[in-house]
Amino acid sequence: MRILGLVAVLGVLLAAFTPLPNRLNALMAGSPRLEPADAIVVLGRGGADSDGVLTNRSLRRVLHGIDLYRRALAPVLVLSGTSEEARARADLARSLGVPTGAIRQLASVHTTREEGEQIGLVLLPDGLRRILLVGDPIDIPRTRAVMEHVGFTVLPAPTAATGPSVPEGRLNLLRDIATELVGLAYYRLTGW
Amino acid sequence: MTPDARSLAPLVIFGLTSLGAYVAGAGFGGLRPSALREATGDMLETVGLGTLFLLGNLAVGTVLVLGVRELTHHFVSIYVGSDVTLPMLSVVRALVVRHWRERSR
Repeated sequence: MRILGLVAVLGVLLAAFTPLPNRLNALMAGSPRLEPADAIVVLGRGGADSDGVLTNRSLRRVLHGIDLYRRALAPVLVLSGTSEEARARADLARSLGVPTGAIRQLASVHTTREEGEQIGLVLLPDGLRRILLVGDPIDIPRTRAVMEHVGFTVLPAPTAATGPSVPEGRLNLLRDIATELVGLAYYRLTGW
Repeated sequence: MTPDARSLAPLVIFGLTSLGAYVAGAGFGGLRPSALREATGDMLETVGLGTLFLLGNLAVGTVLVLGVRELTHHFVSIYVGSDVTLPMLSVVRALVVRHWRERSR
């Protein structure tokens, strides 16, 4: 039990006070491929608060997606998430100059698998196959696998490269990495 | 000061107050310096127990979430179990169990 305790304490110290989580974050993101595509897909994350304000991560993603649209990398912007999240994102995109006709807003989705299936239904019938995938760096391996499984050619466009530099932020990041790795294993086991 | 140096501030504060606690404990509190090694071992044991509880809580939480999804077709996010309160509560339980064990001797 003492060895487990020692491992836990050392793990917390390494995670909080060294750039280890940041390195893992960058490793999981891989190299961004910001190239022309058929559509920009902004994945849901965290929904919106009860007052309709997007969570930090959701906001980061949609702003990155809008930036890619304004750089004319794709003519279509797909906004995903819970119904409140997708609505708030679409409102924000319109207010920042994205035309309504360029926005495709998904109905409420809860899991990445549902997201992949619905985005496939929205884009693939129109021949829109090459997508810029906007997500957090740690989400890219799993979400990329799901989108490729659905039939897309994926160009990763992660929101950030390294992540936070304060101890609390790094601990949160390591927790998210651990959660994401469990999710990745679960998706692999279930054939996604 | 660089961001990396700033991020070490909690460690510096902790180190200074730990040194103060050692001086006060050994100087005025009547605590034996030789017992510090044993106390650190006890702390690691409590943390280890807390880690075990945390792993158990995460496993049970995951099974519950997947079970509710499967049986009721109602969506519950898997992230509900990754809240920061869970490790804290796990360590609190480890402390209680440890003291309970000592009181039971």
